[in-house]
Amino acid sequence: MLNLPFAADLRKHTGSRPRVRPDECARYSVGGCTPKLVFSPHNAREAARIVSALRQEGAAVIIRGAGTAQWRPPPPVSIDAVLDMTRCDGIVEYAPADLTVTVGAGTKFSDLQSALRAQGQFFPCDPSHAAEGTIGGILSGRRDGALRQRFGALRDNVLGMHVSLSDGSTAFSGARVVKSVAGYDIPKLFVGARGTLGAIADVTLKVAPLPQAEAGLVATFERLEPACQAALDVASSPLFPSATTLHDARSAHRVRSLGGGLHDGHAWMLVLRLGGTRGAIARQADGITRICKAASAAAASGVRIEMVAQAQVQHAWADIAELACGAAYSPATVAGMKVISQPSHVAAVMARALSLGPDTECTAHPAVGLTFVHVRADAHVSTAAPSGLRAFANACEAHGWSVEFLFAPPQIGEHLLPALPLRAPIALMRKLKAAFDPSGTFDPGRFLGGI
Amino acid sequence: MQEALIQRLRSAVGHEHVTARPDDLRNYAYDGSIDRAAPEAVVFPADAAQVAAVVRACEELRCPYVARGAGTGLSGGAIAEFGGVLISTARMRRILDIDAANRTALVEPGVVNAHISAAVATLGLRFVPDPSSQSACTIGGNVAENAGGLHCLAYGVTSNHVLGCEIVTPQGEIVWLGGRENETAGYDLLGVFIGSEGTLGIATKIAVKLTPQPETTRTLLAVFDSVDDASKAVSDIIAAGIIPAALEMMDRLSTQAIEAYVHAGFPTDAGAILIADVDGLQESVGETAAAIGDVCRRDGAREVRLAKDEAERERIWRGRKSAFGAMGRFSPSYYVQDGVIPRTKLPEVLAEVEAIGRRYGLLIANVFHAGDGNIHPLIAFDEKVPAQVDAAIAAGADILRACVARGGSISGEHGIGIEKRDCMNVQYAPSDLALMAKLKAVFNPGGLCNPAKMFPTSRRCGESARTLQRADLPEGIAPAAGPAF
Ligand SMILES: Cc1cc2nc3c(=O)[nH]c(=O)nc-3n(C[C@H](O)[C@H](O)[C@H](O)COP(=O)(O)OP(=O)(O)OC[C@H]3O[C@@H](n4cnc5c(N)ncnc54)[C@H](O)[C@@H]3O)c2cc1C
Repeated sequence: MLNLPFAADLRKHTGSRPRVRPDECARYSVGGCTPKLVFSPHNAREAARIVSALRQEGAAVIIRGAGTAQWRPPPPVSIDAVLDMTRCDGIVEYAPADLTVTVGAGTKFSDLQSALRAQGQFFPCDPSHAAEGTIGGILSGRRDGALRQRFGALRDNVLGMHVSLSDGSTAFSGARVVKSVAGYDIPKLFVGARGTLGAIADVTLKVAPLPQAEAGLVATFERLEPACQAALDVASSPLFPSATTLHDARSAHRVRSLGGGLHDGHAWMLVLRLGGTRGAIARQADGITRICKAASAAAASGVRIEMVAQAQVQHAWADIAELACGAAYSPATVAGMKVISQPSHVAAVMARALSLGPDTECTAHPAVGLTFVHVRADAHVSTAAPSGLRAFANACEAHGWSVEFLFAPPQIGEHLLPALPLRAPIALMRKLKAAFDPSGTFDPGRFLGGI
Repeated sequence: MQEALIQRLRSAVGHEHVTARPDDLRNYAYDGSIDRAAPEAVVFPADAAQVAAVVRACEELRCPYVARGAGTGLSGGAIAEFGGVLISTARMRRILDIDAANRTALVEPGVVNAHISAAVATLGLRFVPDPSSQSACTIGGNVAENAGGLHCLAYGVTSNHVLGCEIVTPQGEIVWLGGRENETAGYDLLGVFIGSEGTLGIATKIAVKLTPQPETTRTLLAVFDSVDDASKAVSDIIAAGIIPAALEMMDRLSTQAIEAYVHAGFPTDAGAILIADVDGLQESVGETAAAIGDVCRRDGAREVRLAKDEAERERIWRGRKSAFGAMGRFSPSYYVQDGVIPRTKLPEVLAEVEAIGRRYGLLIANVFHAGDGNIHPLIAFDEKVPAQVDAAIAAGADILRACVARGGSISGEHGIGIEKRDCMNVQYAPSDLALMAKLKAVFNPGGLCNPAKMFPTSRRCGESARTLQRADLPEGIAPAAGPAF
């Protein structure tokens, strides 16, 4: 625990002036917990100096981007200092012809995309909180979207990074070029580490050319199983759509630009995003239509298919991306979970999730086996009591599906320690944490297994 | 080697699956690189439990051990530099399960890369990473080296296609990193295990991702008068927003060597040849191939040929895949480099490679993954002439320095191993290497699992005598060898 008189001295040690006024610090709170100090370093070295000084005082430090993931349970017990990374921002180097870009971790995802789009390129990821989220936060939270079906996951598109560690050192690993196997692929560890190993200061990403053309196909189904089957069959075909999302009726309702609802008793909406040459898109649409019809015919249930133009699908995606535990839900009243399973289990995951109660809502990325479950968690809703969510998580574990709680109201969140998947090599993970952050400076106790 | 250890090994895997006969051991002193050293024993475990028993025996008796797949590695990764025990995966070559619905397969580490795609072909699926050595190299070796291949430009390398590994840790425990899903909770330990060159443990099962086969593939051959023009075409193709499935380049020396060897139909007077694969749906492949052809012509290609049938396609690719073999016929020995540069820097780096060859009086052919900027200069030399060995190694180091100076990497896919470890500090600062050392100690604190690979020694980048002796090892690792066996 940090004593504040010392805090004033930190400036001397680090050359950085922290924010100390409570009203200012409150703007950097995490999960309702206000830090005593906020540092906003401009680069990796400065961040490392700050963290090292804080570590020597035994401080608990949380690394923060835009704060969009701050409601991840359990909430911190107390925070001494926040390392605000938003000043490590901007494009460091962008070589369109090499399909690589190096950016500060505090760069807003949306700013990066605008810069890339101006050159006919994009970073092929559709994360939630796309408007405010920072690159560092999106990587640390492993906020993959459905586009990973075609373009790979975030981990696949990170080439190299600079990190600042709690011993005051900085380290670069990976490379600035599209391919490298020199040394351990340490950037992979920082993707999904939620800031528990060190701070990502800048990162080199692999970017992609924008598709020549895009379109969407929306299929609504009477029943869940044929919808999932169609998604799997498409993913196993040579049609290669860019993304597939599956929505229950409530989730579908939130995609306003696609009509915002289901008709004729249809309860499930499958959205496929298509991209490529115009000829390829027509063919994809045709092939997917056949697959959807075959899947529903085999289940003797109905399907309705509609093509959606490029502008409309791009517009709809702004909504769809936020249905993966994103800005569509308020952490004040909703708990959000990600369930990881084999793709063929998505129907079972969704069915089980929806049995949690009438206020549950699901969006899945069926081709990659991810289901996002949202549950009303007002104090009044008994199904969303922590014990109910915990029981759901345990039932999932019993099937070999793992559950991550992504956000929850603090009064519920404090009971939601991360579940420990049976097979997770937790001993190695603990050793890793101890090697990279020996004093437990970064966000102690909130990661898998209480790391 | 200590008799006690040999006994332990025999009881771990069975008497007949351990050999310490000098004749046998000599066969395991090699991989595809320059460095040589024979192990003191080779064991052939059948499963993870046996691997774990072998590892525990080695750890307890403080003896170094190294995993080995097919031995096609190009950086000395599978070389038992300090003697000790070589753990061969040759008996672990079963495909355990194929799950077509979820597009995954579970295989043992000794399975040959090409056998996976062959086994799932009738399901319309394939395992994408396709190193040129795919008919020999193993999936265990691919995981260890994070192998690339001809089609990783559009589809990614091994780490993009492996979902999980069961490994035996240097503590002798059997754990899973990742699984059969597309994501796992917690730290991405699988991500660092892949490409760790056998220094973090031994993979005993591998869950791979399978990918639908493309409906159509067209192959295009473009002939240029100069390497510069071909390089410009590479950049322009990518800049036009086209990512071909593969984009390979060969210079004149390599096409001549290939033609003399396999008759792939390459013009031998061309300055450079580009081969591009375009795959996908029928409706788009023709269009994309035509667009690539246009770019090539605009950049001065004197001929653009679209393979008219599968036979021609195969002939072209057979030519490309036999490039290393062809060099073997052309020169007594050759030394493959594996640097990466931003692809826009190809012309200047290839010019520098040529200058380096002239400086050392060595012929250097270039055949490489142009789309990725992953160059493979093949340095011709004679292994029997010590001065030429030294020159080849020094020239190789100069090429790597040239790559790093352009913001590139010293290895795109072949790994560091023994070969390039002393060049690691050309690319990385001491604090970068310190973090890697910390990671290594998390898995392999005693350092006995593939010792001393990948990290710089006291030698300089480009110095010749590269292998170390036991005495060079940090204290505590493999002290005095027991009575010679
Ligand atoms: C002609 C030729 C062409 C090639 N083309 C390419 C190419 O296009 N792309 C490319 O990437 N590479 C290429 N290579 C290099 C080589 O084939 C690859 O690195 C391959 O992955 C090595 O596989 P292997 O089974 O031969 O491994 P080995 O050489 O036996 O071992 C390589 C490394 O893997 C480790 N290892 C092996 N099995 C395991 C295991 N089960 N667990 C942990 N560690 C293990 C070893 O300890 C060693 O460090 C080529 C090689 C040749 C000779």
